[in-house]
Amino acid sequence: MASDPLVKIIYEHEGVFIHPSSDDDDGLEQDLLVSGSLRILDKDGEIIVEYRPLEDTVDPSNMLCAGKDSSSVVEWAQCPGERSHQLLETQQSYETEWDMINAVSFRKRPCSNGEGSLNHSHEKSRWAFTFSVSDLRSITLKEEGWCFLVFKLKEPSASLPALHFHQGGSREFLDMIEIIFVYVYVCRASDDATCFLVSTPNKALSQSFENLLDDNNYSLVNKLKKDPYVTTLGGFSKVTNYLFDALRGTEEQQRRPPEEVADLLGEVIPGLEINQQEEPGFEVITRIDLGTRPQVTRREPLSAEDWTQHQDPEGRMINVSHLKQVIFKGGLCHAVRKEAWKFLLGYFPWDSTLEERKALQRTKTDEYFRMKLQWKSVSEEQERRNSRLRDYKSLIEKDVNRTDRTNRFYEGIDNPGLVLLHDILMTYCMFDFDLGYVQGMSDLLSPILYVMENEVDAFWCFVSYMDQMHQNFEEQMQGMKTQLVQLSTLLRLLDLAFWNYLESQDSGYLYFCFRWLLIRFKRELSFQDVLRLWEVMWTDLPCQNFHLLVCCAILDSEKQKIMEENYGFNEILKHINELSMKLDIEEILHKAEGICLQIKSCKDLPHSVSTILGFNTEASGSDLTDSESSPAHIVSHRQDACSNGHRHLTETSHNGCKVAFIS
Amino acid sequence: MTTKTSLLKVILLGDGGVGKSSIMNRYVTNKFDAHLFHTIGVEFLNKDLEVDGHQVTLQIWDTAGQERFRSLRTPFYRGSDCCLLTFSVDDNQSFLNLGNWKKEFIYYADVKEPEKFPFVVLGNKVDVTERQVSTEEAQQWCQENGDYPYYETSAKDATNVAVAFEEAVRRVLAMDERTDHLIPTDTVKLHRKPRSAATCCS
Repeated sequence: MASDPLVKIIYEHEGVFIHPSSDDDDGLEQDLLVSGSLRILDKDGEIIVEYRPLEDTVDPSNMLCAGKDSSSVVEWAQCPGERSHQLLETQQSYETEWDMINAVSFRKRPCSNGEGSLNHSHEKSRWAFTFSVSDLRSITLKEEGWCFLVFKLKEPSASLPALHFHQGGSREFLDMIEIIFVYVYVCRASDDATCFLVSTPNKALSQSFENLLDDNNYSLVNKLKKDPYVTTLGGFSKVTNYLFDALRGTEEQQRRPPEEVADLLGEVIPGLEINQQEEPGFEVITRIDLGTRPQVTRREPLSAEDWTQHQDPEGRMINVSHLKQVIFKGGLCHAVRKEAWKFLLGYFPWDSTLEERKALQRTKTDEYFRMKLQWKSVSEEQERRNSRLRDYKSLIEKDVNRTDRTNRFYEGIDNPGLVLLHDILMTYCMFDFDLGYVQGMSDLLSPILYVMENEVDAFWCFVSYMDQMHQNFEEQMQGMKTQLVQLSTLLRLLDLAFWNYLESQDSGYLYFCFRWLLIRFKRELSFQDVLRLWEVMWTDLPCQNFHLLVCCAILDSEKQKIMEENYGFNEILKHINELSMKLDIEEILHKAEGICLQIKSCKDLPHSVSTILGFNTEASGSDLTDSESSPAHIVSHRQDACSNGHRHLTETSHNGCKVAFIS
Repeated sequence: MTTKTSLLKVILLGDGGVGKSSIMNRYVTNKFDAHLFHTIGVEFLNKDLEVDGHQVTLQIWDTAGQERFRSLRTPFYRGSDCCLLTFSVDDNQSFLNLGNWKKEFIYYADVKEPEKFPFVVLGNKVDVTERQVSTEEAQQWCQENGDYPYYETSAKDATNVAVAFEEAVRRVLAMDERTDHLIPTDTVKLHRKPRSAATCCS
């Protein structure tokens, strides 16, 4: 076995017992105690648990048997003296179960006849068993003075004897199982902290797991090293070292740059672990079937006629929720945008009259030009003494020259569009000097100015948009970090297998979505598609943070390629960057809405997910389907072939141990 | 001698708008777009080349230059073999900031021996007529800061771009004859050590 080079021992522990009496009705064997060794093997990529009784090293006549009633048994030479004391000392650190073994009495099993030896070996092999971890349904840890484990396989008829750890080691075994699958597929059952559930590893998961093992990949090991749970567990390092050795092969290797980059990103974007906390201090991870993803239909853009039909004689917008739903479902005709965007962005109140809006515009025009005059009237000397203004100005000038220059509105030299873009950004600096100008803002302004064709209106619409996006551009970029963590949470719910893959490639922080999130897909889509996507997102339908589901929708379409090609950190970043201008907005919106409905129909959503999507605060999305005259827009239900998801994952910190689990 | 390909990570740093992306694109695709978008986030391109008989794959990283993006830019400095400090000759401030970029790089890339690390300095946009930084000034800075090679480049008309990258590669190869960058083209499967049966307690 060990001579087979393809078999690697990840964990091994001797002194693991089977108590045949408790598993067997055969009264004759009630006092039998089978001793053997338990191993976890990596057999050509498959993880195997193997139990083997000790070979014929034990004379059957010397078999140890544990009596249930110690008073009725012959004392075995179990002395509390020197030898066991020594053992105790050497193993005490992590063999807490050892204490009780002193209290267990042993006796010699009544010697049977001559054929015992033969029977014995027969008997012994009877207790040997192996199974692939992928066949495992659950492991239950029980304690009766000592610890024993009960394994349940997916095949219900195959029952295995409980393994008793009289000499300790159960914790290490479980830790090892947990470590191996911490990013793959073991979990603790939600209702019973002593029971571990093991999911079916699908192909992609097994694949990524194999990669972890075979690629001389350090990331898992590095994570282990960092994991406080690992480091605080006494005696654990010994076991961990087996894994280290098994993973790293014989040579010391350099850490790969992508891992270092990922580690640093992890420091910059904290909170992935904490964010998952459902109930502080307790790990609850259950599988919830997300169900099939509904297919949705989209509609034609809202026409100018439709728009005016939603106005009362004084110009108030009426039936606003319906209006928003129509806009969500199909966007706006370009002719309506100039008017409608002012409402969608919040510059105009929906219930304002035409007169009120005219008054508002007059006030806002004054306000705008007052601020514009401020930077316009700064003299050269003043500017020389104002480095921040100088820096903003310099960067705005550079960026205006590099924003949407192929668009007619901004192309060529001395295009008035360029001057407007510049002036509005400069005025925004005076409006919010603390924030000033940050790269990316010109991307957010450009489509608004293009639609408004008016400096003042564009400025105030931009101000409204920036209110939503402000945090993303602040000094600490907290908005970006929050969004990345939220996206990660959603992706784990939707597609744990893919998320695990990304994690295994040091890409769990989803840094590659940075540009998507900072400027809301502005660089990913054609200009016209950006207009469509933005107006859809500004309806705040069908849920809060819909743009994160747009990310999920795009990733859903790319995951197959990413995993099949086995892309690493750099390749994933490159692949995502290069999606720019190759995406189909309608396909994305279909999928994103489908994902929203899929998640929404799921019961027992993790609190974190409901919070991100706003399901527990308001019912903005529920009236979406209600308002449709029939459910006909849901054409068909289809199982997403690629999705490994339909799993619900909640994650909390248990003893600080990050455990990813599915059941 | 067997053919070996070295993967070298090179990073372009410098103020926003000095032309980092344009230099990268000129070198890798031999194209120039005066109205190229400013970089958001981090991008990279690969380029294969041969320098003095060495096959090299250059992985050229390009980042957003604005201060605000520092925390999400600096992690990518790790593992760089060379840093191209870039300024624009028509922007004196970008020249004055070179020292800050160098400092930021050394700190975040966790460079062990900063005085030995191969920096190359690029003064871009030499095609423009209104210079704010003279060649002498720039050369002097390079001399005083570690005797870095200095190239006056133009991504627009391709002046000195390839030369600068090749020099960067030479610098890396010359000072760094470590073999750990050299990845044999025939990949070797590293086997995990088969473990002998170990016992954790007896």
